[in-house]
Amino acid sequence: MDFTFSQSEKLIKDSAREFLEKEAIDISRQVEENEEGCLLELWQKMAHLGWMGIMLPEKYGGFAGNFLELILILEETGRALVPGPLIATVCSGLSILKYGNEGQRKEFLPRIAEGKLILSTAFIEAGSTTDKNRKISLNNGDYILSGTRLFVHGARVADWFIYKTENGKGKTLFLIDAKSHGIKCSVLESIAPDRIYEVVFDKVKVPKKNILGKRENGSRVAREIEEWGALCESAFILGFLQRVLDITVKHAKRREQFGRPIGSFQAIQHQCADMATEIDKVKFLTYQAAWKLSEQVPATKEISMAKARASDISRSICLLGIKIHGGIGLSEEHDMALYFRRAKMSEIAFGDGDFHREIIAQQLGL
Amino acid sequence: MDFRFSPDEEKFKQEVYNFFIREQEIVNEARKEWGSGLGFGPYCWEILKKIGSKGWLCPTWPKEYGGLELSYMYRYIIMEQMQYFINIYSTVGAGMAGPIILRHGGEKQKREYLPKIAKGEIEFALGYTEPDAGSDLAAISIKAEEKEDYFVINGSKLFNTRAHYAQYHWLGARTEEIDSKKKYKGISLFIIDLKTPGIAITPIWTVGGTRTNEVFYGDVYVPKEALVGEKNRGFYYILEALNYERLSTVAGRERDFQELLSYVKEKGFGKDVLTRQRLAEIAIDIESAKLFALRVAAMLDKNQIPNHEASMLKMVVAETEQSMVQTAMQIFGSYGQLRRGSKWAPLDGKFEVMYRDSVERLITRGTSEIIKNIIAQRGLGLPRG
Repeated sequence: MDFTFSQSEKLIKDSAREFLEKEAIDISRQVEENEEGCLLELWQKMAHLGWMGIMLPEKYGGFAGNFLELILILEETGRALVPGPLIATVCSGLSILKYGNEGQRKEFLPRIAEGKLILSTAFIEAGSTTDKNRKISLNNGDYILSGTRLFVHGARVADWFIYKTENGKGKTLFLIDAKSHGIKCSVLESIAPDRIYEVVFDKVKVPKKNILGKRENGSRVAREIEEWGALCESAFILGFLQRVLDITVKHAKRREQFGRPIGSFQAIQHQCADMATEIDKVKFLTYQAAWKLSEQVPATKEISMAKARASDISRSICLLGIKIHGGIGLSEEHDMALYFRRAKMSEIAFGDGDFHREIIAQQLGL
Repeated sequence: MDFRFSPDEEKFKQEVYNFFIREQEIVNEARKEWGSGLGFGPYCWEILKKIGSKGWLCPTWPKEYGGLELSYMYRYIIMEQMQYFINIYSTVGAGMAGPIILRHGGEKQKREYLPKIAKGEIEFALGYTEPDAGSDLAAISIKAEEKEDYFVINGSKLFNTRAHYAQYHWLGARTEEIDSKKKYKGISLFIIDLKTPGIAITPIWTVGGTRTNEVFYGDVYVPKEALVGEKNRGFYYILEALNYERLSTVAGRERDFQELLSYVKEKGFGKDVLTRQRLAEIAIDIESAKLFALRVAAMLDKNQIPNHEASMLKMVVAETEQSMVQTAMQIFGSYGQLRRGSKWAPLDGKFEVMYRDSVERLITRGTSEIIKNIIAQRGLGLPRG
């Protein structure tokens, strides 16, 4: 048992923080103003540091790292509130590594690692059962796909999508070139600074070879991508909640009312203690799940434990942060407002608390 | 980071587990006895002596005093199994008195008490709390007056739980009157034989059906060698021990949770959405508490001082138990209120007992509120009020 970082883990985490503190100041505010929802310049720099390819084998241009190392980086991106489809790209890349064929691996993975290819998942159907546009047909060996996908991260900058659709007997995943004819993206204005999109696929032609994994396997592969995503999002939440705690405690030490720092009042102290305790829970639940994946041990239950708790506290801790900041915490200009808004998006992403508790219940044999 | 036991630790865990399985008969009787609320009876003493004869009560201690010089992770592993099988995971001697004697006691005290503690032959009743000294331990007022070659003690203690069967009282007493805010500077620690004339013990029954005690001292004469370490340093020793000796475990709660789960499955309650959600939440609480426990053990083995981390652990373990008993009661509905012995009581009323008994954990060894002060002030550096 070791609950401290190894030297290399510490190095990865510290250098990620150092880099982001220099390169990503106010990044989410900048991105909120632009349609692309992502700064490609920063993306390139992150790729140079090896972040996109951290878990990919060296022969595909990666660093042959493990899930725990990825999680430590994502924790720092959460702290800095880095927007963009980083989690989507990394998890999609992993799915190609695990389920793709050699041709797909060679085509996608090195370019992902170099930061030259952005991948996003287009899984969530609009009004899933009522989408009248949904169609899948074959024409001269190509699939013709129609359907609308919502809440797609980074759709504007994505080079490819992983598209999930019903095939009549199950789900199939397709790799779709974002430049294909018939694709239209539009921004969905949301609570968070990050950009999410509606992507309409209208009779998009996709060659058969672009199926990811086996044709009938789509659900399983998509579930695994979402499981990895849930763990990644937990780390992201962990990162920004630790920053919320840091700035809240700092504020409580400085802010004086009734002639003393408000942090000397028990009401404030107990709220800060609750924040710290809940964050520590999420921290070790997340690290343990990531460690298990790094050791090739299935971690479905552990990932859901991390994400369920992370989702729940993402809201409650930001709320405490705002309350302790008082009036200034309500100001849209204050970072607290950013965290508070982003927390809701992270809470929902890859399943909220209720969703993951249901998975845990199944894992408990209920 | 590494979240697994080493191969040696795994092997040891298995060895400890096998021991308890081998001793199953005494184990079951001991657990029943402990569950009666009366404390150690013949079976508890028997199993503790057997555990002690292996060196497992105080495995981290030096060999010359009955220990095995093993790491804290080994102690944690033993505590898990002890709590799982008999609900007792440590003695007060092994967990609180012994470590202070080891650090600050004289050589004679060490030789006299430590091996017996390690072997499970003696137990101490914790003698800190008084009617007017609960969370504010520095307010201890029972008086130990130093005379020529003895101390004379007068006053009373409250909620000293093991006093009716322990051989010794681990007494915190005032050895100097201090008017200022620095009351903690006049407290000393003593080892008192509870059979000493002048000591009277009367029972108090808790809502959980556990016997605790009021202990009265009327002109109790004790020899000078009853003093532990230096005079007036007792409060420092107590605080210091909090840093080193607060391992804990949720292994018993894991066991209870498994029982609850089996019951829910057997009765077909597991389809209810709310029940599924609640049980999943408990599973998260238990897992978190377990990770906190392992963190404290791992820190101790790295010579780090788990101060607020150990406090967090204590709070989370107590609160996890609360959410579990409350969830169980909610699932049982009206049946949950029935006592052991009723043919309608789910799991023979086990959770009805736990529901009452578990409240104690929120209060003893630091209330959640005191713990939050510690986390805020020592962990986060917020100023004292």
